[in-house]
Amino acid sequence: MKRILAAAVAALSLMFSQAAFSQTPPNVLVVGQIAEPKSMDPATVTAVNDFRILMNVYDGLVRYKDGTLEVEPSLAESWTISDDGTVYTFKLRDGVKFHDGTDFNAEAVKFNFDRILDENHPFHDTGPFPLSFYFSAVEDVNVVDPLTIEFRLDAPYAPFLSNLAYTPGLMVSPAAVEAQGKDFGRNPSGTGAFKFAEWEANSKVVVVRNEEYWDGAPPLEAVIYRPITDANTRIAEMLSGGLDIMVEVPPDSLAQFRDNDSYKVVEQAGPHLWFLILNLKEGPFADKKVRQAANYALNKKALVENILQGTAQVAAGPTPPAFAWAYNDALEPYPYDPEKAKALLAEAGYDGEEVTFYVTDGGSGMLDPVAMGTAIQADLEAIGMNVNVETYEWNTFLGKVNPGLEGKADMAEMAWMTNDPDTLPFLALRSEAWPDKGGFNSGYYSNPKVDELLNNARKSTDQAERAKLYQEMQTIVQEDAPWVFVANWKQNAVTKSSVEDFKLQPSFFLMLQKVSKPQ
Amino acid sequence: MASYIAKRLLAAIPVLLGLTVIVFFIMAMIPGDPATAILGTYATPENVEKLNRDLGLDKPLVQQYFIWLGNLLHGDFGRSFALNRPVLDEVLERFSATLILAGTALVLCSILGLLAGVVSAVRQFGWTDRIVTLVVLVGISTPSFFLGLLLILVFAVKLQWLPASGMWAIYGGGDLPDLLRHLILPASTLAVVATGVIARLTRTAMLEVLRQDFIRTARAKGLPERKVIMKHAVKAALVSVIPVIGIQAGFVLGGAVYIETVFQWPGIGSMLVKAISTRDLLLVQGGVLVVAAAYVLFNLAADVVQTMIDPRLR
Amino acid sequence: MAETTALSSGSKRSVGNRQSNLRLLMNNRLAAGGLVILVAVVLIALAAPILPLADPDVTDPVNRLLPAFSEGHLLGTDELGRDLLSRLIWGTRVSLAVGLSATVIAAFLGSLIGLVAGYAGGRTDAILMRGIDMVMAFPYILLALAIVAVLGPGLLNALYAIAVVNIPFFARNIRGMALGLSRREFVDAARLSGMSHVRILFGEVLPNVLPVIIITMSTTIGWMILETAGLSFLGLGAQPPQADLGSMLGQGRKVLFTNPHVSIIPGLMIFVLVMSINLLGDGVRDVLDPRLKSGSLTRPVARTAVERAVMPGDLTPHRDAILDVRDLRTEFRIGGEIYKAVGGVDLRVGKGECLGVVGESGSGKSVSAMSIMGLAPTPPGRIVGGVALLDGEDLFSASDERIRMLRGLSVSHVFQDPLSTLHPLFTVGNQLVEAIQAHSRMTGSEARKKAEALLRMVRIPNPAERLKAYPHELSGGMRQRVCIAMALANDADVIIADEPTTALDVTVQAQILSLLDRLRKDNDTGILFITHDFGVVSAICDRVAVMYAGKVVETGATEEILSQPAHPYTAKLIQCVPVLGEPERRFGAISGRPPVVNRLPDGCAFAPRCQKATDECRKTEIAMTELSDGRAVRCIHPLSAREAAA
Repeated sequence: MKRILAAAVAALSLMFSQAAFSQTPPNVLVVGQIAEPKSMDPATVTAVNDFRILMNVYDGLVRYKDGTLEVEPSLAESWTISDDGTVYTFKLRDGVKFHDGTDFNAEAVKFNFDRILDENHPFHDTGPFPLSFYFSAVEDVNVVDPLTIEFRLDAPYAPFLSNLAYTPGLMVSPAAVEAQGKDFGRNPSGTGAFKFAEWEANSKVVVVRNEEYWDGAPPLEAVIYRPITDANTRIAEMLSGGLDIMVEVPPDSLAQFRDNDSYKVVEQAGPHLWFLILNLKEGPFADKKVRQAANYALNKKALVENILQGTAQVAAGPTPPAFAWAYNDALEPYPYDPEKAKALLAEAGYDGEEVTFYVTDGGSGMLDPVAMGTAIQADLEAIGMNVNVETYEWNTFLGKVNPGLEGKADMAEMAWMTNDPDTLPFLALRSEAWPDKGGFNSGYYSNPKVDELLNNARKSTDQAERAKLYQEMQTIVQEDAPWVFVANWKQNAVTKSSVEDFKLQPSFFLMLQKVSKPQ
Repeated sequence: MASYIAKRLLAAIPVLLGLTVIVFFIMAMIPGDPATAILGTYATPENVEKLNRDLGLDKPLVQQYFIWLGNLLHGDFGRSFALNRPVLDEVLERFSATLILAGTALVLCSILGLLAGVVSAVRQFGWTDRIVTLVVLVGISTPSFFLGLLLILVFAVKLQWLPASGMWAIYGGGDLPDLLRHLILPASTLAVVATGVIARLTRTAMLEVLRQDFIRTARAKGLPERKVIMKHAVKAALVSVIPVIGIQAGFVLGGAVYIETVFQWPGIGSMLVKAISTRDLLLVQGGVLVVAAAYVLFNLAADVVQTMIDPRLR
Repeated sequence: MAETTALSSGSKRSVGNRQSNLRLLMNNRLAAGGLVILVAVVLIALAAPILPLADPDVTDPVNRLLPAFSEGHLLGTDELGRDLLSRLIWGTRVSLAVGLSATVIAAFLGSLIGLVAGYAGGRTDAILMRGIDMVMAFPYILLALAIVAVLGPGLLNALYAIAVVNIPFFARNIRGMALGLSRREFVDAARLSGMSHVRILFGEVLPNVLPVIIITMSTTIGWMILETAGLSFLGLGAQPPQADLGSMLGQGRKVLFTNPHVSIIPGLMIFVLVMSINLLGDGVRDVLDPRLKSGSLTRPVARTAVERAVMPGDLTPHRDAILDVRDLRTEFRIGGEIYKAVGGVDLRVGKGECLGVVGESGSGKSVSAMSIMGLAPTPPGRIVGGVALLDGEDLFSASDERIRMLRGLSVSHVFQDPLSTLHPLFTVGNQLVEAIQAHSRMTGSEARKKAEALLRMVRIPNPAERLKAYPHELSGGMRQRVCIAMALANDADVIIADEPTTALDVTVQAQILSLLDRLRKDNDTGILFITHDFGVVSAICDRVAVMYAGKVVETGATEEILSQPAHPYTAKLIQCVPVLGEPERRFGAISGRPPVVNRLPDGCAFAPRCQKATDECRKTEIAMTELSDGRAVRCIHPLSAREAAA
């Protein structure tokens, strides 16, 4: 008996002593992800969580310059745009190879775009490609010579370059797609700084240094992405040393990392908007005064400073300030003014009609949607609105909101992260973007002036001119108040202090090419 | 015995088939569809319709079911919409993780539950009995998800003795001590409730058995009391406890859903929760089928063990 | 919860003794504690609207996450600055209501399904139970998740989901009982009288399963509250801003590491609530469960407790007695009452002698015999006086280990029902070998050989084969032979045989008796033979002691007593024996009942039933009167020879 006991004690002490060594080795970076990636095929994914891996495994023709949303050369060394803005010609970088050893060239670029856009392409069935509308303006992709590729658009489309830097524009190896078919998403091959090594389902994705990377091999030997869906568990892993980097730290936990020298907190505002879609077709919000009242009623400062603990800023209008050139600085957010809100409600003759408010429990960029929804509900109750919350799990929520709110709800939470000032208003504010026409204008906003401004802005290739159009649009939309503008998120991450040269990008991408962790 | 097992297995087939029908139609009744889930924020009605067509979800429900059933008979569980991976691969991988967790918990709760029940019955009304009774009550009255969180807080975050989550360490691990380290917290949490149930039941069964005539016979023979309890009484009590352990297997498998979520255990429970939310019909089908089959098999095993112990049932 | 409450009893119960039930419940300190806590919680929850609480839904982001004991917020505030105390009380109200309603719905539907399935049987039963199997095979949380996904989130839908998931437990428990009940006579009678099925089901069957339903409810309700909390924890229950304990915990969990009080407070509340319900539920079960009634479920310990107040001064054994019991007193204490089962009994067995102890059931004869080797059950039994001298050794003052040694070695036992006295799960051989090895260092194979020889000795054909048999595979006579073989395993000096032939049919009875008779003569073994049947006594016993109400009322040689009983009771007992060839002879029960031994009358205990009783008989205790050598009677009006013959 005693001997068994002694053995048990020995075994236990062994287990516990090893537990103390959950430190990660030098030059290997462990990243705490919020979920398992859906796929590693860049054309098929939509979640920022997946982008964080893909941006390090693939390159696009262009990329965002460090710390900005401006494009710079990547796999393309240079490009020219025709005067009418419909033909883009790219000179490709010579000697770049995919991780599987095949050459990157104009044929490969054509393969990539045809796969997404041409329904008759033999590998179109490796989709679906939910972001293919980023390139819906592309009519033809032509190989001019092995290192020159030409895109012909059906109309001028200003966001095209920016879209090329986004995930659907990342270049995959045609040979690998041909070999793997539908399984390419689990056996990816790109040109990026890291090569795919291993995907152990529900446990980790491992990528290793690409020694031949055209932009110089990265300092890190390997990056391990661990999916940890539960925020608490993620924090616990970070605190117990199992992670080097953790993204999307819950606001309330940031303080304890800030106060600790072993960690560094990194923050970066990005092109994100957290808003409430209002139903303009029916119910109280059909009246502009009630919509404005809702904008006045919310204590947005309290929302971002207290509930979100300063991880976001108060939003003024439909365009986030991260799009610096297109942002209208003159715009002031609706102030918190419950008295004015009450007056507006009285003017509009609001009679206490019940308002249904769709809230979700999670989802991309939704910050803390239940707490936010609850606080918003309380603010609206305070000015005398009768708000009834219905909470749905994210996918059900999208299934209810995207087809339009008519007959179901009066308001719904929503958040978007985009790469160009065009995307969100074009997809969600135009009359042509009502749900029955395939858009995301779920609240049925319609203003011909806004439609015109947006259509013109995407045709112009002159940034100054585009900026003017967008700024005018923002003023009108803010006044019309089809949404309640709430917050712009500042993305955050926590790293161990041993992680060097780590920055967050306004694009919300996680770029690890220059990061090092010597110890 | 073999024919009995065969008969029981045959009887389980309609239950499992019925279950797949239920799952199929419940999933069909849930608003939202896999296409929305796959397309995420960018799911326009137009895109959704096209994708549903691609996935074969536009066919009538009954037809879809029989297509699935036909494939199943050929050993094809289909492909997960959301994971873009064969259902069987994912399900087996996840299920083996759950089996390790739930199996450990089950062994743990059986041993501890039996032990606590026996001790408490033998020391009836003594201090040991009172303490065991109270601890057992505390166990079955604590929300397991809450207990899990507290354990993480204490043992992983504050004391840093044990890992907070996952099944394997990222480095070095992969061996048995590594697995055990990761198992301790979730398996104990999972075992708590079932331990309580089994302990209570064992106590009652033991008390009942100890009043039986054959116990008096054993004592009249002059057997040492230890042998009377551990051999005669425990074996007789097992007959009524074992079917309950079989039923507890169902609860442990069910309870694993919370525990896997809290501890990030890559098991089938957390997979199914996610699969339901992403409307991943075939994955839900495959997962539920495997879990239900495991439940049926486990109960069968419990019955077989019971039959082995009790010759009267043969 | 899957605690199958497999109640076997289905007797008709009267529903009148609520008062005593409540008292019984309050006697259980844990249950009473649970009740007090639960009542307090319920009262506070009910009083929520009139208590001076902050509005539970008003947010105040500036004062969020205040710690406990902050000014104006006794328990602090949550992540939206809402008062935790207020939310806790309102949340408890919601959780309680949901848990209760879910339990009632599940109990109603589950019981209905169980009743119908059990009563109808056949195909209806098969189909319903397959359906229940399906629900059970579906991991319960996932089923609840799927139901909520279909119905949409919300407290009411979570309630339905939890109720549906829990239907199987009620259905399975109730079905088992209904199945048993529907085969009972009173249901048959109701059927024959032309009652409709519905009336039988609800009028006859339901009242009998009601206690089980209540027990199952009391044990599931805590579980239901936990499960509802679980769904809310996953965000599928209460919708914001409404508080219930689960959603409070779920939301508080986000700040668990930084502000643990936000989740720990509702977590503890769930715990306290469920714990109090479980404590109370256990108490309710103890009160309502027919098995546990009459002094709760207790188990006898290894040896009867000895607390002798009086001891006979003379400890020298009678000269030819191998076993000499003097002034034995054994009591049972049940719920404050003292039952004097044995009130001063003298018994004596010589070498090779067979003493018959005769009496009606309840006369204390078995208790006397079982007290000797400490096999009378404690609790509730206790030996409070007298000695038992085995070969001069006082057994009541011997150590436990010494008693264990003597059991089976010097004194062995044969019990009444050979089916229940043999362990059903071990082979006959195993049990025999065990008896042998308990007292000798024989190896397994030697013991096995001896076991075989023992079986041969008790005339069991083909003994080597029989060793491998389980008790249920043998006939009643065979089983009793095995028991006797076991008693012979170590050449005991005395065999205490407690009604060894009562459970057997008459021909087997005769065989067993002659076997015992032959064995005691061959081995010179003394037998203490307990029986209620004078027919059996005449076949084997040398001497007889007749017992009534815990006392020996007459003793003497068998023939003398049979031919000329002195005590009126003895005479009545003898009259009860059927005699071959005299079918017209009146026999049957003695009119009246034996007295309850917790309220023994003064004077002769048999007086109320005795035709010869006089006032004198009822005055004081009657002493034994020696009639002749070895013949004594406890009666002041012994029967004359003429009366005895009549």
